[in-house]
Amino acid sequence: MSATPAPSGAREAVRVEGLSKVFPDGVRALDGVSLAVEEGEFLAVLGLSGSGKSTLLRCINRLIDPTEGRVWIFGREITAAQGRELRAIRAAIGMIFQQFNLVRRHSVLQNVLSGALGRSGLLSSLLLHFSDEERRRARACLERVGLEGREESRADALSGGQQQRVAVARALMQQARLVLADEPVASLDPALRHSVMRHIEALNREEGMTVLCSLHDLDLVQRYATRVVALKEGQLVFEGRPEAFDGDTFRRIYGHDAEPAAALAGGRA
Amino acid sequence: MTDAGAPRRVLRPETPWQKGWRRLQALGIDGLLLALALVMGEFLFHAFSGERGPTGLLLTPEEILGRLAYLPALALGFAGALVWNLFYRSIGAPIGRVLTRGVPEEEADLPWTRTLRGWFGALFVELTFFTGWIITEVQLVTFLTNFNKASDMVRGLASPSGEVLREGLVLLVQTVFLAFMATAFAIPVAFALSFAAARNLTRGSATARILYSVVRAVMNFTRAVEPLVWALIFISWVGIGPFAGVLALWIHSVASLAKLYSEQIESIDRGPVEAITATGASYLQVLRYGVVPQVVPPFLSFTIYRWDINVRMSTIIGFVGGGGIGYILKPRVDLGEWGEVGTLVLLIAVAVWVMDLVSARIRERIV
Repeated sequence: MSATPAPSGAREAVRVEGLSKVFPDGVRALDGVSLAVEEGEFLAVLGLSGSGKSTLLRCINRLIDPTEGRVWIFGREITAAQGRELRAIRAAIGMIFQQFNLVRRHSVLQNVLSGALGRSGLLSSLLLHFSDEERRRARACLERVGLEGREESRADALSGGQQQRVAVARALMQQARLVLADEPVASLDPALRHSVMRHIEALNREEGMTVLCSLHDLDLVQRYATRVVALKEGQLVFEGRPEAFDGDTFRRIYGHDAEPAAALAGGRA
Repeated sequence: MTDAGAPRRVLRPETPWQKGWRRLQALGIDGLLLALALVMGEFLFHAFSGERGPTGLLLTPEEILGRLAYLPALALGFAGALVWNLFYRSIGAPIGRVLTRGVPEEEADLPWTRTLRGWFGALFVELTFFTGWIITEVQLVTFLTNFNKASDMVRGLASPSGEVLREGLVLLVQTVFLAFMATAFAIPVAFALSFAAARNLTRGSATARILYSVVRAVMNFTRAVEPLVWALIFISWVGIGPFAGVLALWIHSVASLAKLYSEQIESIDRGPVEAITATGASYLQVLRYGVVPQVVPPFLSFTIYRWDINVRMSTIIGFVGGGGIGYILKPRVDLGEWGEVGTLVLLIAVAVWVMDLVSARIRERIV
């Protein structure tokens, strides 16, 4: 199947047009979302729980198939891709999850190596075998996130913050050009959030990866993002610079029910 | 966070067809329940009426079962169910309606003693119990007073004779290996089938869904047939001996293990599957990295447990000629050599006990 080229913008990492998702139980999680992300951006996706952030990120790499709408990744239409082509596009998209989603019984090194699955031979990868070249690269990735010496530990023996850094190393190993991070620090101790966010920032600044990161803490948005979009009930309700998204904007969009979280974030802004 | 951002639910009204189907289901359930209650009532009436058959003896339960008015009960039951479902607002909702449509609001907080269906349910359970008592010919007095007739047997079992010890031990070894081979042969087949029998892995395409249904149906059928029957089939296929027993236990183990394995696959954490899929991995790679590591420990544990079950089952398989210790147990039971039977039973008990202990220890370690 051949993908239609994106309508415009040669330097576009992601283009989303008219994206909607209605789940079988009738929940409309996304409602006509359109947005474009330039290469090199760090886009924060903001919204309350259930506003559609996770669904949006999962529709971008087709972990969830959208009901309507189209998505282009670096000019290739992922919503029209199937089989090998879909996997090739996915291989360029790293993903970091709220619950880390490591293979718990595999070693840290094996988890990082799994980032290379998209370019590995089927038979050798089914036997958990990777070339020396890939293993060396995986060790280097672990070093980058400060986990050298933990290669042989089982993934579930690590703390939450360490596990998330392994997930960052996996994206690094994948040599992704785009990273989707779904609430990457929401399950972590507040004191550890910056340590993980800084590694994701490094993917953006040092590796030139485009980052789409859903967050619900205004403080983190203003510290790391270069641009913000906000979702409410599956619709895009704000788009602009992080500085423009202050506590007042937050309250205006999400209403007074959301005040405590907004006031806290606004107070620090 | 508050619920200000909770997703909107797009309401999907029930189509008339769905509504009609639900009503039909409710009617079916209520009709069958009422008809069964009527039949059991009639059965108990006959049983306690002191009626005598053509031979002048009291009617046996089987005779009563043969002369009950099933069709009129069915007609009456469905008529009653129809009335109950039509007037449920004034007399309280029937069981079928509650099962298919939920408890109506006006009855939501009532205790069962205040609803018609509560009383009907209680009556139904009572009827079932007393009918069952008579059909299975429960005789409590005989059970409590007639022990002396069995005491010879029990005494024999309690004083095992040493004569069959040697032969028994040899065949016990055969039994354990028989069970082991059946389990070992079952593992690869069950492993392969379990992926096709897991709901969460077979949603992708129509082919996958059909494969799922076919595998499930075949497995359920295979499991429903007793290993004893499989043994008879395989004995005529490969001849009397332990190999027939291996095959009988193998086919039963495949079905059971595939079911247990696939249920385990269905309950895995979706997270790693998503993460591996997101790296651009192919379907087989996702299975290998996202699914297999999560299911290996429980698979091992089920498999060892299955071996344990197979040791116990192979005794019965031996009764019909499937090899193992059951093979020499059967003639001694028939001849009433209770001392020798006692020896063999003790050997089996020790083997099962050891297996149980070992498998529990290993399973503890794995999970």
